[in-house]
Amino acid sequence: MIFNWENLIPKISVNFITNKLSRRQILKGLFSSSAFLGLTAAGPIKSSLANAPKPFVFKDEDRTFLIQIAKDIYPHDDFLDDEPYIEVVDGILKETSTDEVLRSTLLVGLSALNKDSKATHGQPYVKISSYGAREAMLRRIEEGAFFQKIRGGLLFGLYNNVKLFPKFGYEGSSWEQGGYIDRGFSDMTWLPQDPRVKGDKK
Amino acid sequence: MATKFDLNDDSLVVIVGSGAGGGTLANELAQQGIRSVVLEAGKRFTLDDIENDEWSMFSKISWLDKRYSSGGWHGAKNHPTLPAWIVKGVGGSTVHWAGVALRLQEFEFKTKTTHGEIKGANILDWPISLKDLEPYYAQAEMKMGVTGKTTGMPHLPWNNDFRVLAEGARRMGMNEISSGPMAINSVDRDGRPACQQIGFCMQGCKVGAKWSTMYREIPLAEKTGKCEVRPNSMVLKIEHDKTGKVNGVVYVDADGKIHKQKARVVCVAGNSIESPRLLLNSESSMFKDGLANSSGEVGRNYMCHTTAGVYGVMPEPVNMHRGTSVAGLVSDQSHNDPSRGFVSGYMLEKLSLGLPFLSAFLVPGPTGWGRGVAEALEKYKYMSGVWICGEDLAQSQNRITLHKTEKDKYGLPASVVAKTPHINDVNMTNHAYKTMKNIYESVGSKEIYNLPAYPASHNMGTNRMSEKPRDGVVNKWGQAHDVKNLFVSDGSQFTSSGSENPTLTIVALAIRQAEYLGKALKSGEL
Repeated sequence: MIFNWENLIPKISVNFITNKLSRRQILKGLFSSSAFLGLTAAGPIKSSLANAPKPFVFKDEDRTFLIQIAKDIYPHDDFLDDEPYIEVVDGILKETSTDEVLRSTLLVGLSALNKDSKATHGQPYVKISSYGAREAMLRRIEEGAFFQKIRGGLLFGLYNNVKLFPKFGYEGSSWEQGGYIDRGFSDMTWLPQDPRVKGDKK
Repeated sequence: MATKFDLNDDSLVVIVGSGAGGGTLANELAQQGIRSVVLEAGKRFTLDDIENDEWSMFSKISWLDKRYSSGGWHGAKNHPTLPAWIVKGVGGSTVHWAGVALRLQEFEFKTKTTHGEIKGANILDWPISLKDLEPYYAQAEMKMGVTGKTTGMPHLPWNNDFRVLAEGARRMGMNEISSGPMAINSVDRDGRPACQQIGFCMQGCKVGAKWSTMYREIPLAEKTGKCEVRPNSMVLKIEHDKTGKVNGVVYVDADGKIHKQKARVVCVAGNSIESPRLLLNSESSMFKDGLANSSGEVGRNYMCHTTAGVYGVMPEPVNMHRGTSVAGLVSDQSHNDPSRGFVSGYMLEKLSLGLPFLSAFLVPGPTGWGRGVAEALEKYKYMSGVWICGEDLAQSQNRITLHKTEKDKYGLPASVVAKTPHINDVNMTNHAYKTMKNIYESVGSKEIYNLPAYPASHNMGTNRMSEKPRDGVVNKWGQAHDVKNLFVSDGSQFTSSGSENPTLTIVALAIRQAEYLGKALKSGEL
């Protein structure tokens, strides 16, 4: 499995209104990669109703909205196509089928962002053409659970994604190939070599 | 057959922790025929568990039990529950250390004498000097397999990332440039292979070329039949008799069962956060402020080095991920030269990060996103990186305390790690940023990123050595001033941090302490 978000980020839920962790949630464990990243990630905490079937409340336009936000968090305009962003968003939407806290977080987050956009610019977020304007709105909510859920998904979905490593020039796991001892660990030609390579005594 | 000792055997040395200090001590004692039980909170890993995957290994081997960051450093906000980045497992942080094996410099043992009083700091001379430690440094270098003069092993070959730093430093007129000393085999040695330039040193060395007690000291100790290692054993409390001598430890095993292991001597080596926490949690009616804490210094003077990262985008590809993570050092700035605006010095250590970690650290915390970050990551292939490792002055209020209400999964009060940089640290960091800017610009970089400190992997000083009992927790042998048969055997003994990575000094101190313990046990003094 490439994208191991579920196992890496602990099951911390954030009250999306107050954005404060409950005592129980703190006790449950704040001590994994989310702490490392400074994330306050909303994750699945199952309530008694969690397993009940739920109507899928997100519309296509919500999905489009989320994908736009994702692309604004880590914009790679001509560098990446939309697919990895879509994968991250769809992964988060899938989680909402069993996680009603996350579902609410997303619905409220989207609605609040559009409200801000309409108040500030007179139109919904996805209609704003300036990246700077969209970024400014995201900066206002960057510490909240809604934003950090999407950002956390992207950190793993874009930068811990083996499929995308070659795009960035990162080569990932190397031991299976014997490391780089015979595969270019010192292949730069634009700066001088290790002085010992030319026989210099160091 | 694995050795098993009885819980009621009160002739044993009990060692808490199996890292650089505890693992080394266990083996040194075992080689002298002294029996010990090592209680290790983490599990036992094998080389099969090691993956070349930053996040996967972070989740697998890190100490992630509940802790809190506080104080004025950025991590109080950006890493609120991860003040330190250390390992929970047999071998401790020698599993993920990078292998840099430097000796402390003479002046670093004499911080107070060298610098005098420094406002806001609580500095002190070590009760030992470099000369006292030199023979043990040499032993440590032989045992660990450190490249350089002692072993005769050549330093590692220079990889791309280090060649960037080396050439930039040379162009800036520096000349203390070297790919060692490293406790990483550059040739096959001691039953372990030479470095294959795999990278991922800090995710655990897949082939065992880097020294670790996980696969050197611990198996050697066990082979003697004189040492029993009990993984998944978290020590809750050290107990003592009516005279104030310690007589055993209470620990919880993997099944949640609580045991008391009797002991003749207890050696604490749980790292500079856990060791003082254990002493503080071992309070009793006789030791109301915690064990061995008549000075009030237990948990204080927490040092984690003055650190920062710098990443530069180079004009040509570097592929920094190829090869040893930290095999390359520039030491020109490590000397004491107060004319720079700060006392003591710092090392420049080449440090490569993979794309997954760089994306998290380039701008750490919740604000680390946006076009700037994304565009920088697109240039990953062109990046070269360095880690700054400088002296961190002891300060009284930088300390480990027990949380008033929060408890960890064992029911123990969680630790709160308070750290606020001294103005000396701030000045040093700014100087280092400027030095690195010059170095990277000299090789053509036009885009340079300054990163703040990572969660600390070098944790020191919280049970410090002192000549006088009122100034610290242990004496020059690591023996508690207050409790004769209680020892501290890890980096928490450090009186000053120096600018060197601490592992070699921890190992040298453990070898020296084992020699002292051997004599004292044989003479009946203990």
